[in-house]
Amino acid sequence: MKSGLSGVGAAKVAAVILALAILAVLPLLTSSNYLLGVAVSGLLMTVAAAALNLVYGFAGLLSFAQLGFWGVGAYCSAITVMDAGGSFWAGVLVAAGVNGLLGLAFGYPILRTRTHAFVVATITFALLCNLVARDWISVTRGPLGIPGLPPPRLLGYEIEGSARFFYIVLGYAVLALCFLYVLETSRIGLTLKAIKQNETLAQSQGISPLPYKLAVFTIAAVITGMAGAVFAFHLRVVDPLIFDFYYMQTFLIIVIIGGTGSFWGVVLAGAAMVVLPEALRFSNDLRMVIYGAILVAAMLLMPRGVAGWIEDRRLASLRANLR
Amino acid sequence: MIPLLEISDLVKAFRGVRAVDGASFAVQAGSITGLIGPNGSGKSTAIDCISGFQRADAGRVHLDGTAIDGLPPQRIARAGLTRTFQDVRVYDTYTVLENLLVVAKPFATTNWADAFLRTQKFRETHGQAEARALDLIDLVGLTRLTHAPALILSYGQKKLLAFAAAMMSNPSIVVLDEPVAGVNPTRVNEVAEIVRAANRGGTTFLIIEHNVDFITSLCDHVIVFDRGRKLTEGPPAEVHRDPLVLDAYLGVEPGHEPHLARAG
Ligand SMILES: Nc1ncnc2c1ncn2[C@@H]1O[C@H](COP(=O)(O)OP(=O)(O)OP(=O)(O)O)[C@@H](O)[C@H]1O
Ligand SMILES: [Mg+2]
Repeated sequence: MKSGLSGVGAAKVAAVILALAILAVLPLLTSSNYLLGVAVSGLLMTVAAAALNLVYGFAGLLSFAQLGFWGVGAYCSAITVMDAGGSFWAGVLVAAGVNGLLGLAFGYPILRTRTHAFVVATITFALLCNLVARDWISVTRGPLGIPGLPPPRLLGYEIEGSARFFYIVLGYAVLALCFLYVLETSRIGLTLKAIKQNETLAQSQGISPLPYKLAVFTIAAVITGMAGAVFAFHLRVVDPLIFDFYYMQTFLIIVIIGGTGSFWGVVLAGAAMVVLPEALRFSNDLRMVIYGAILVAAMLLMPRGVAGWIEDRRLASLRANLR
Repeated sequence: MIPLLEISDLVKAFRGVRAVDGASFAVQAGSITGLIGPNGSGKSTAIDCISGFQRADAGRVHLDGTAIDGLPPQRIARAGLTRTFQDVRVYDTYTVLENLLVVAKPFATTNWADAFLRTQKFRETHGQAEARALDLIDLVGLTRLTHAPALILSYGQKKLLAFAAAMMSNPSIVVLDEPVAGVNPTRVNEVAEIVRAANRGGTTFLIIEHNVDFITSLCDHVIVFDRGRKLTEGPPAEVHRDPLVLDAYLGVEPGHEPHLARAG
């Protein structure tokens, strides 16, 4: 039992090192801007999904506000660079700060509401962000958006080309995921899932749910906002389409397929969601149909996601052993 | 000597139904006090008000001389009053050990940064909490299941786990809502023994239970509830002979005894 567990641990470490190694040499393996672009958006969406997993999978808060934070982050970095003359890095920091404040200010009142009201409030927030982006023309330039974002600069050098930008994205993704991993495997993660499972029981054990929920909601807002800020420089343009429901739906599918509340499940699903549509390119007509069919099949076979499916197997064998 | 827990004139109504209707009673420090009464007499509702899960319409609650009414449940738990629930509650996906390590108070000296960074101080605190958890798991006889997820436990085992979790913060008083209801009769004496052992360790108990043998053998003092307030109180043997109590359990309104005669 003990050696089996550490075997799983060693396999995980090996898989992480392998994945990092592949990602690190990816720009050397391919010069295709297209493929690097796919990897960039895949990494950023995986980060956003992992942040949603913290809020939904750990704290039980089905938040559609993530879409709002993603887009607000993108606008923050674009405006910082194009209108305030700041650097790309300043833009990402501004996105972090603005989303942190927004997460606190919006989370504080709505985290007191119950499940359904909470979901509706977060959807409204995302819609409102979209509306502001479209109508606050003096700041956001309205439906036309902000085109022509320049490549980021580091130490005076322009980070031109997909390969170099890819490394920035990889760096951010690794940092953000490490932060989430350390948080979720700590006692804070244990407490969060306790609150999610049974809030009154947690209260009877001296736990105050609100500070935990607010902290998690704000942290997820910051991480998602920074990912959106970087994503803007991948697109090179920010317009209200950054609030397209496509993004939210992708975050949500990654979390659900991976298994809510499972860090590795979500990271794995993030990778699969990038690789799968590309791997299906052999048949351009049926690509999205096959993709959809695979998603539906996955949900039918593993309603609690990959991680939930594995957990169920483990429990079944545990039960069998006890008999 | 002031009582450890003192309830005065507690009132709680649900849409006009006065579930608790001016209840006053006290629990002495170091005692094992029983709280009995017919179904629907307001025992659980009173406990919900005392532990902060329901907001009482009126009345005061003092724990060791300090007013705790109006505080949220987590503050009351940290102040030293913990409880179990009539519908047994545990974290199903957590192991028996994790169920106890969730409890906040043993970690009161550490903050989020300590937990996030796993500082030396945090690891020491965690070690102490784990040692206490293992002692409690041993006390309730679940050692064999320490690392098993709670959802594979039997109903009775879950009640024992919920009891251990309520003890985890070393509270001054624990309120148990029907600790042996639905527990295998052969195990009821074991539960009584566990409560006695914890009581010898200095914990005061207030126990709601319908099992007469359990209450009679375990409690020093019994409070009888009827229609949301205290009907009478005294040593268990006396209380169970009290004609008022018998009437309350048979559901006969005072002054309508002829019905009882006819029905009998
Ligand atoms: N949330 C609620 N809403 C409306 N009525 C309630 C609520 N909780 C309890 N009641 C009512 O209050 C009265 C007292 O219920 P309570 O659960 O406190 O009784 P009890 O003494 O614990 O009974 P039992 O021994 O069956 O557990 C009952 O009439 C019940 O229907
Ligand atoms: Mg009850």
